Amino acid sequence: MRMIGCYLTGIFPRPKELVEATRGYDRGKVDENELEKAFENSTLKVVNAQSSAEFSYFIDGMLKWQDLFRPFTENLSGVKAGSLTRWFNNNIFYRKPIIVGDIRRKQSIVKEVTYTKYLPRKLPWKAILLAPYTFVQLSANRFYKDMAEFMFKYARILREEIEDLAQLGFKYVQLSDPALVYKPIDMSVSKDELNLTSEALKIAVKGTPVTTCLQTFFGDFSRILPEALDFSVDHLGIDLYETDLKKLKEYSFEKGVALGLVDSRSSLVEDEDELVKVAEEIVGSIYSSKMLEVFVCPNCDLEFLPWERAEEKLKVISGVADRLREEF
Amino acid sequence: MNNLFPTQEMGSLAKPLWRVKGYRGKPLSKEEITEAVNWGRKLGIKNSDELAKLLGEKDSSGRRKSILEWSARYAIRFFEATGLDVVFDGEQWRSEMYEHVIRNTFGFQFLGYVKSFDYRYFNKAACVDKPRYVKPFYVDEFLFTRENTEKKVKVPYTGPYTLVDWTFNEYYEKRLSREVRDFKRRKFEAKRAFLFDLIKEVIRPEISKLVASGAKWIQIDEPAATTNPAEEEMELFVKSFNETVRDFSCVFSLHNCYSNYEVLAKYACKLRNCSQLNLEFANRDSRQSGIGNTRKGYKEIKLFEEHGFRGNYGLGVIDVHTDFIEPPELVRDRILHVAKMIGDFGRVYVSPDCGLRTRTWEVSFQKLRNMVLGAELARKALK
Repeated sequence: MRMIGCYLTGIFPRPKELVEATRGYDRGKVDENELEKAFENSTLKVVNAQSSAEFSYFIDGMLKWQDLFRPFTENLSGVKAGSLTRWFNNNIFYRKPIIVGDIRRKQSIVKEVTYTKYLPRKLPWKAILLAPYTFVQLSANRFYKDMAEFMFKYARILREEIEDLAQLGFKYVQLSDPALVYKPIDMSVSKDELNLTSEALKIAVKGTPVTTCLQTFFGDFSRILPEALDFSVDHLGIDLYETDLKKLKEYSFEKGVALGLVDSRSSLVEDEDELVKVAEEIVGSIYSSKMLEVFVCPNCDLEFLPWERAEEKLKVISGVADRLREEF
Repeated sequence: MNNLFPTQEMGSLAKPLWRVKGYRGKPLSKEEITEAVNWGRKLGIKNSDELAKLLGEKDSSGRRKSILEWSARYAIRFFEATGLDVVFDGEQWRSEMYEHVIRNTFGFQFLGYVKSFDYRYFNKAACVDKPRYVKPFYVDEFLFTRENTEKKVKVPYTGPYTLVDWTFNEYYEKRLSREVRDFKRRKFEAKRAFLFDLIKEVIRPEISKLVASGAKWIQIDEPAATTNPAEEEMELFVKSFNETVRDFSCVFSLHNCYSNYEVLAKYACKLRNCSQLNLEFANRDSRQSGIGNTRKGYKEIKLFEEHGFRGNYGLGVIDVHTDFIEPPELVRDRILHVAKMIGDFGRVYVSPDCGLRTRTWEVSFQKLRNMVLGAELARKALK
């Protein structure tokens, strides 16, 4: 296993031709078959882009995911899709899940919206799901008596999903948890909520046959330290455009890290030299004795960018990973 | 104009098909041309047959300009016919609130479509050079509107904070890359630099021209005002508003909708020269008539009051995201509820939640007409 890897961390932007097809579909000018064909072609394009950039794990681009909730909102019983709601501090919107009954999983959820047939046979696959804290925080709970009950129930569903994904051949599962660090007013999550998160993650991932990562973004990862160091995941994902790096470097890590070195919310293509330097400093500080796995990645879903810029950023990610491999 | 509960529109009105297709030089069907004529008759517009003739002509720059003027004339008359006190042209001259400004300003490049939600996207630009004023982008539209109405005119103006928030910031992030090492700080400082350059180089020069041309009331549209609710960002928004309107002899109001009013309420009292907050409430409210607890959608007005905002409210009493036609009695009760809550009837203006561009003209007309009737009922109730 290489110590330095690279991968994507979320929904990839739709290429121009898919944007046109989906808009045409909305206007009744493109039929289901044509739309499906457009999704398939674009998925191939995303997989090929990762291939060219020699990524360590592959995703299908998640082009069908209308938002990170939607496959769950539409396929779990006990949940219905609510109104459009702002996705944190972005000009992108998701449908708020409304919890109206006990949530139950009827079938594999991710499988239905993932083009596994286009993922490379001989290279490892990665899946991305919403973490318990974010799922619960951003849903409207009209059923469970408290946050703990809801979070643990969702964690059990996640576990079933992860086990299915492992059966399908996925080797790596990322749990996206922006709400855990996005605290623009309160500044940080409470200790009680961190404890609940820790318990829920244990339920969701402990003992599952995949490598897991808790990917945080849109907020300062240092605010959930040191508690996050004990979460039951293998890797921790950090948004370096929101995190206080000085504070981060004060801690010693015994887990792998996914460094969100490339900014998905800026179209400016990063300077590789600068990213390499920042990564070296972080790795040098947090692994004082034994270095563990390090992934170079975007700080969050690249869907905030038009396709061309996202594609350029893949090359930067790959370039930085190459140079860090030489270094370490 | 009514002194008590004046009624106003909030900006956009849907563009008729003959305006959209006609402006793009696409052929129009007989039905589409007939629709233009019928609305002309309904609104009492003289010579609407001339429009029909124009729409049948070949595409040319002159024809396109005439089509814009006709659609603006229609929209102005549309608002007048509903009985509104304050009008504009339904933003018929603008492609869209964001693109219109960006396309008419130096320093920007459109990068392509990014997702908004589901299969909806928006064309997002990057700031690639220091923004520079090229030519007026609102003045001609304002002058045309003023010449075509006797009513009070309010100019909707896309605010600088929103323009910056919706734009990639390549130029300033690159410029600061050597000076500021910390990524987070760099992005914030780059945003600040972009914002205040845009205000100085583009936003204020246009306001200056509008004021010199006779504009008396400008509505700064800032839908992104509370997108970033952190204190530092909200302070930046407040400073941007204050700098935008500084020293102009003109009335300014702020329009913000589908937003976090708990956050906005804390900062509204810091806005200088902001005579009115145009806010969206109907969308959050119940459809039952009555005042008091029924009017749960208006509870946040209390927060603005508690935090010391003492300007007027442009009270959203019409939900622009539904075809439900609010009865005049419901409008009346929404007005009276808030007027009594703040204890000063003179501070309430009556508006739709936002621009009506997503509704058909038929629905918009009925909604605005009932809004005007509801305001009349509220005035009568107080007599």
